[in-house]
Amino acid sequence: MGSWVAPEWRWCETMAVLELRGLTKRFGGLLVVDGLDLSVAEGEIVSLIGPNGAGKTTVFNLISGVFTPDGGDILLDGRSIVGLPRHEIARRGVARTFQTLRVFLNMTVAENVIAAEYASGTVGAVRSFLGTPAARAEAERMRAEAERRLAFFGERLVGYRLEQPAYSLSYANRRRLEIARAMATGARLLLLDEPAAGMNPAETQEITRLIGQLRDEAGYTILVIEHDMHVVEGISDRVVALDHGVKIAEGSFDDVATDPAVVEAYLGKGGAATK
Amino acid sequence: MEFFLQQLVNGLTLGGVYALIALGYSMVYGILKLLNFAHGDVYMVGAFAGYGVLVAFGGPADPRIPVVTLIVLMFLAGMLASGILGVVIERFAYRPLRNAPRIAPLISAVGVSFFLQNAALLVLGARFRSYGTARMVDPATGLQWGPLRISIIRIVVILSAVALMVVLHLLVQRTKLGKAMRATAFDREAAAMMGIDVDRVIVATFLIGSVLAGAAGVMVGLVFSRVYHFMGFVAGLKGFTAAVIGGIGSIPGAMMGGLLIGLAEAFSAGYISSTFQNLIVFGLLIVFLLARPRGLFGVPEPVKV
Amino acid sequence: MPEIGTDRWVAEFESRRVRREGPWGRLIEWSSRRWLWLFAGAAIVYPFVIGGDFGIRVGVNALLLAMLAIGLNVVVGYTGLLDLGYVAYYGLGAYGYAFLASDQFGIHLPTPVVVAVVALVVFGVGLVLGQPARRLVGDYLAILTLFFLQVFVELALNLDRLDLPFVDGPVSITGGPNGIAGVDPMEILGFRFGQVRDYYFLLLVLVILLIVGVTNLARSRTGVGWRAIREDTLAAEHMTIPSGRLKVLAYAFGATVAAVSGTVFAAVQLGVFPQNFTVALLIVVYAALVLGGEGSIPGALVGALIIAMVPELLRTPAGARLLFYGGLLVAGLTLVRPRRRLAVIVPGLLLFGLAVRALVAGIWPGLVAAETAGGVDRWLLRFSASADVVVSVLFVVTIAVALAAVAVRRRRVRDALLILGVYLLVLVWENRLVEEPSITRQLLFGALLVVLMVARPHGLLGRPRVEVV
Repeated sequence: MGSWVAPEWRWCETMAVLELRGLTKRFGGLLVVDGLDLSVAEGEIVSLIGPNGAGKTTVFNLISGVFTPDGGDILLDGRSIVGLPRHEIARRGVARTFQTLRVFLNMTVAENVIAAEYASGTVGAVRSFLGTPAARAEAERMRAEAERRLAFFGERLVGYRLEQPAYSLSYANRRRLEIARAMATGARLLLLDEPAAGMNPAETQEITRLIGQLRDEAGYTILVIEHDMHVVEGISDRVVALDHGVKIAEGSFDDVATDPAVVEAYLGKGGAATK
Repeated sequence: MEFFLQQLVNGLTLGGVYALIALGYSMVYGILKLLNFAHGDVYMVGAFAGYGVLVAFGGPADPRIPVVTLIVLMFLAGMLASGILGVVIERFAYRPLRNAPRIAPLISAVGVSFFLQNAALLVLGARFRSYGTARMVDPATGLQWGPLRISIIRIVVILSAVALMVVLHLLVQRTKLGKAMRATAFDREAAAMMGIDVDRVIVATFLIGSVLAGAAGVMVGLVFSRVYHFMGFVAGLKGFTAAVIGGIGSIPGAMMGGLLIGLAEAFSAGYISSTFQNLIVFGLLIVFLLARPRGLFGVPEPVKV
Repeated sequence: MPEIGTDRWVAEFESRRVRREGPWGRLIEWSSRRWLWLFAGAAIVYPFVIGGDFGIRVGVNALLLAMLAIGLNVVVGYTGLLDLGYVAYYGLGAYGYAFLASDQFGIHLPTPVVVAVVALVVFGVGLVLGQPARRLVGDYLAILTLFFLQVFVELALNLDRLDLPFVDGPVSITGGPNGIAGVDPMEILGFRFGQVRDYYFLLLVLVILLIVGVTNLARSRTGVGWRAIREDTLAAEHMTIPSGRLKVLAYAFGATVAAVSGTVFAAVQLGVFPQNFTVALLIVVYAALVLGGEGSIPGALVGALIIAMVPELLRTPAGARLLFYGGLLVAGLTLVRPRRRLAVIVPGLLLFGLAVRALVAGIWPGLVAAETAGGVDRWLLRFSASADVVVSVLFVVTIAVALAAVAVRRRRVRDALLILGVYLLVLVWENRLVEEPSITRQLLFGALLVVLMVARPHGLLGRPRVEVV
């Protein structure tokens, strides 16, 4: 995995982990996502950019099943996941983080991650209640797995912190915990919603490197929403720009960043001249 | 047909009462997202306050002042007592929990309700009291309309319920306070930032809701004549469900919901079985809660991500 | 720039950690780890120390309440479902036992069969009636489940003269308001439960098994999933947790625990009556859970023991006095800060009492009862029976004064109100509350819920929660 080389961007129909076809969502009379086509290949890092209100988070919500689309299809490994319950979508390999952090505040760091390992368990409530050897073994396995996941972030979330409630964590550590939690679901596709929001420059750099590691070392396919263009530049194999729910540009970072439509979306008409 | 009309009048009377109770639930829920469990008991206290005035002025058989004045005084006393109680409850049991997790004010409300019931039991005893309206106002007087007879007291009750609701509607739609209430219900924090004294609005909401409940308590006393410490519990349940049926937070919804429940109760008692009257109403409410929890007029709450 | 992932604070954490020192600290550390052993030991000794049948009966009630509270803890404390119909399942269990082991239908099945059947059936009922928990949240679920309880009570009250097809005459299923008397005592493996003590030990075993089981569950993926759902249902679903299924499971689990304790209750009581399963019991269970601290198993246990045993003191005047004045003393010592304020309040209280007594005896001698014994009666007014109304009014005034004392900020006024309030409280207590132990109990529970929620929502042993509202 370490020798994985980012490919030039191209359509790879056969390898697509995630494919959106004509995805459409209305809230009342407002078209939030309008006929969006998007394909994410195995091992690719795709950034979703666009001004506020462009519909980026709504795309995440549609993929992860918070909303059902009004039109179009969402294919995961070629199979439609539209209309599946949220936990089933997660079980099939889509995990996400949240723009506004949603860690389980009153649970310990370890429990936060163990919770996300639910799908990997096989022991039912009855055997757990009775405390059978299988139940004990599973609990231990999940705990060890959680520690392994958290070790991905160095020493930050291990040691005594395993037993600390999540509310005691700093903002940056909560972001890390959310990523660890998403990894623990056993997903292959991570949807990261503004992972660098609210981080200081050093932390932003770290998260940039981390996202690279997630792909290179852990083999994840990643779709990321990010406003910090340094992060986007640093990680993306491909960038997709949205405005008013419509895809206005797609390609390498340099291509998209200089695309007149994108500049206009961010800065308004005539903005290009002032830049 | 006559029986049907009689049940209809019964249902309308009951419905007016439930609607008044439901309004209090709905307004408080709209603003605080709090199920004010003690609301039914506020209504009970209102009924007792009316009873207290009745006894103080010589009782139903031989009142010392004109009957009309007496009834007005009873209404005022019931509304005043309930209003004060509502405000006190808000101040001491809910306000400290304004920013607590949602389960805390609910448990606190259950505690208040239980406390009030038992306080009434301690102070007033367990026996049923009766307003004895029949001795105060001749039940034969009233409207005679073909086979249908509506006693004057029922007319008074229905009319005053309607009057209170009209006043409330005007208050909410036309006054500055009403505007502040609607703004607070929509978004408490934003309202506070716009210079609305949210605490005052909440107190006003509790006051108005409780005053209406007090009036409902006196009405029930006048029409159905039974007043006791536990009366608020079931009435509160039905009032809350009336609010839910109408779409919680919606004032016209609460009125409709109250009427529907009143009618359902009157007709199931009249046509199906009076033993299972409560059971039937509860069953209907359960089905409704399950099938359409946002009510007839409510809009679904958006998922927040 | 430091290397990614190194954190000196974490690395040096062990050296910074503070441990409880000294014999007292070691005792606390030890008992917080070994609380179940402590409880089991004390509970085994209890019936032999307490001796009388009444004391053991109190113990039985405490253990029943503990089972109920621990079961409810799974529903409310872990999963966050506010189930106000919980005691209906207790009732279902009790009625189920009565149906299958009494002369009501002439069925007398062996106890283990009865309990197993009841547990399975109620689990199934819980799975069905728990379905709404998938969609309804918070208050809606609370009110719906409260309706379930009302329906249960109505059914229990009214299914006594039912006209069924093909059967002559009205049939009684539940016995109506009179319930079903003459329920069989339990019999397990040939051992026939004759005394209350037998049930006490059965319940003790059940409670300990339940605690161990629920502790196991709490560590399993099911238990962690439950708590994740309470924290953030949507996020939990995104983390592969099937929230609907787990909610229903928690609900049905609580129902089953309640039903099993209900079977024992029916057998201990040798009968079932609808008035055993009303909102009053619901409040008691909630009071126990909230007092101990929802979400905590030792909390639920301790809360249940306190709620079941302490109010028993109210039954005798001596015990009630002990409870009341003890409570007053503790409250005074812990709540009045700085303590030197007590130097004003206590003498003030005494003088105030004497003054009022002299005044009232002078002006309305008819109000005061003639006979006065020693002790507190030399200080306090004792009203004659005809002055009942006065006491009622004073009760309301007492509450008003107490609330005012909470609200007022100025120290002097507060102390004055405190003196007045405590005096009135003692007055009302001695004149009325002491004679009405059951109402007093209920008042205490109601007030307890409010005060706890306002002052200490995590109860005695629970952890304070952080929530984004």
